[in-house]
Amino acid sequence: MKRFWYVILISLSVFGSDSTPSKAARMDPFIYKNWETYYASEHGLPNDHIFALHWDGTALWVGTEGGLACLKDGEWSSWVQRDDQPHGLPWNVVSSLDVDPQTRDVWIGLFGGGLARYSAGRFDHWNQFNSGLVNDVVYGLTVAGNEVWVATTAGISVFNTISGQWDIYTERNAPMHEIWAYSIDSADNKVFAAVWGGGILEFDLNSRRWNAHLDPDGEMELDLYRDDGLIHVITTSASYVDQTLWAATYFGLSRYDGRKWRGYTLLDSGLQSEFINLCKGRSATSSYNCTDLGLAVLVDFETDLWVTYLREESGTANGEQEGFWVAKVFQGNHLLTTSTTNLSLPNHFVITCEFQGEDLWIGTGHGLARGQGKGFYPGPNPNGVKP
Amino acid sequence: MNRRFSDLFRPALLVFGVLLLLGFTLQAQEKPTSSVKEESYGLTPERYMPFGNYANPYREFFREPLLYRGHGRTLDSPDPATLGTIRIGFLGPIEKTVSVASGSASHEMVLGQAMLQGAQLAIAEANARGGFRHTKVPFELMIHNDNGLWGASGNEIIDMVYREKVWAILGSIDGANSHIAIRVALKCEVPVMNSGDTDPTFVETRIPWVFRCIADDRNMCYLLADFAYGKLKLKRVAALRANNRYGRISIDEFRDASTRLGRPFITELNYPVGAEDFSEALKQICALEPDGVITFGNAEESARILKQMRAMDLNCWYFGSDRLVSPQFTGKLNHRDLHRVAAGVPYNPNSQHVRFMAFQAAYRKAFNMEPDAYAAHAYDGMNMLLDAIQQAGLNRALIRDSLASMSTYQGVTGLKEFDHVFSNVSPAFLAIWEQGVVKYVSRDEMAELNLEP
Repeated sequence: MKRFWYVILISLSVFGSDSTPSKAARMDPFIYKNWETYYASEHGLPNDHIFALHWDGTALWVGTEGGLACLKDGEWSSWVQRDDQPHGLPWNVVSSLDVDPQTRDVWIGLFGGGLARYSAGRFDHWNQFNSGLVNDVVYGLTVAGNEVWVATTAGISVFNTISGQWDIYTERNAPMHEIWAYSIDSADNKVFAAVWGGGILEFDLNSRRWNAHLDPDGEMELDLYRDDGLIHVITTSASYVDQTLWAATYFGLSRYDGRKWRGYTLLDSGLQSEFINLCKGRSATSSYNCTDLGLAVLVDFETDLWVTYLREESGTANGEQEGFWVAKVFQGNHLLTTSTTNLSLPNHFVITCEFQGEDLWIGTGHGLARGQGKGFYPGPNPNGVKP
Repeated sequence: MNRRFSDLFRPALLVFGVLLLLGFTLQAQEKPTSSVKEESYGLTPERYMPFGNYANPYREFFREPLLYRGHGRTLDSPDPATLGTIRIGFLGPIEKTVSVASGSASHEMVLGQAMLQGAQLAIAEANARGGFRHTKVPFELMIHNDNGLWGASGNEIIDMVYREKVWAILGSIDGANSHIAIRVALKCEVPVMNSGDTDPTFVETRIPWVFRCIADDRNMCYLLADFAYGKLKLKRVAALRANNRYGRISIDEFRDASTRLGRPFITELNYPVGAEDFSEALKQICALEPDGVITFGNAEESARILKQMRAMDLNCWYFGSDRLVSPQFTGKLNHRDLHRVAAGVPYNPNSQHVRFMAFQAAYRKAFNMEPDAYAAHAYDGMNMLLDAIQQAGLNRALIRDSLASMSTYQGVTGLKEFDHVFSNVSPAFLAIWEQGVVKYVSRDEMAELNLEP
């Protein structure tokens, strides 16, 4: 009889326990504490509303609501639309950027102005009336080999920079439940498009075939099971790194390693908001998520370790100063610690981010900032879990 | 000894197995959120809850108010006197353009023109009252056609925001174009009021800049389903809908409701927009002996389907969307056709409310015609925008906040109640035609009707 109750007790202890590690364990992730801030009024930015960032290995390109800027060797350059410059920046609202690694041409997505290329000191311009660009409202672009893939509000256009040929993908020739492309990324001979209402579309550049990732429950108002697939079909960005897909939505984050999906929402993660404007994978186990309530960094997938940076609006609890951003360390959605930073951007509506080596750039609704990554290490402290 | 151990071990193994299954079930569902359904999203009745009979969802969305957390509230407001006019954008299908779906003339021009007139009347009345905050700076409507081609609505929003500097926008009707417009508005940070798109998914995007003052197809479909299956006790409903986005998306909630009540469609066929001949589809439907047919499409095609149904002696109930409540539908049908026909409608067009009657009189005087649903809701939507601008001043984020704070609004189309995604969830009505005569009934009045199934 004792054996019987022993089996019952063991069963209860196994299935009644929380599978997450102890809250008391301190994982000690790297935290960006030292930041520099940049504003139009003090630096070379043409506008404080930052839409796009791209580090090309030697310079940082910045797309804003009021023009294009470049920071190289500590010097700013900027361009704005001027009617008297026929080969100047054709439209001020810069939504996306990429640099062709072969030619060093800068490709510029213009929100309402089409597509531009900055090369040899001049801007060339494509729009829906002079090219195969399907719509002038460009949300994202990526350079994949000799092709520039452009995500627009009415489908995806592909420009072959060698042949000059355009291809258009819409619901007629791609598995697009809707055609409203929002963001696009490429790596490893694959292109991933986040399509608003259409999930994530994956294009294999070798086979020239599409594959669609959708929300399995098919409902807009709920997520039936956390890890059954993409959280929601209203996707906002895709980032493919180390053969792992990170997909952002306005309903949370999804991760797909080619075999298993994992979902992250307010219920179970360090996300302080599910409204993710953009996600950027740093590795297969780490992603940076720009939300309307700060930057939520999944530092380590295996240990579910997060650092979320956001502005502390009030109070000085735990020593943080009012108006400065803090870094909150979570395991799952359990808050472990809160650290202070010197980041003082006035708004934590984070729109975009970019890596420059170990440094981290963030673009917000008002201002740009660079987090200094000296001593950066990925994941938990490499010296091991502290007691 | 062995036998005694075995006797004890068997029940333990059984319990272990049950716990194992329970454990896996709990793991699979993770941590369910509240099972409380009384304040469900879209006021969805429990019987129509997605997966309601099988599982609690892991995460339910749209249960908290949408927040805007950007920087817009701190932007400086200009001096209105320097602006000349206070501009409000209008986006609607007001010109004869080519339909992407059919290649022929767009059918939505009539709806868009009514919408424009409703908006113009509201602007004219506001200016007659003294304009922006009684400064005599007038409101100006920046009118843009929504031609529906290649995402053109996005370009129109860009023009309004960056070139014309509007403070808010009213629009549009087509579901796809409206979706495109609000995605642009989200990035540009400008409030958009929708008065004509009944697509339920329009607000299901978490964009905190979007408002809708017309009841949606979710609301109307639930009422229509209750009427078809609860009141009339129908069992075999067939669907024949347009193959465009409107037909595909708008019928969703009725189809889901049918399935969840254990009465899935006996068939669902679709037709190209602009179709004239429905005989083949109707023959297939006839062979299945339906007791009801539902359509979601334009008024003209819906009228043709009904005409051809009756000519084939298919005299069962015929259901449709609010687009049936229009001269384009009823004008082509006689009293024999218009019998046992019902449609969801977002308001009561026969309201005797003093505000509605005053609006009707003013509209007749201004345009020499009767207002329809699109005119009335555009009038309400524009007045909500005007009220928000008057209250908040010239700052788009503050105008958004003012709109978001309107949990109710008394318009000419009735008392509107808004949910957490700023969509009107006030009760819809039914239009029921018998012997060519239409009556508009509320849910409560529907229960009292004496109708043949």
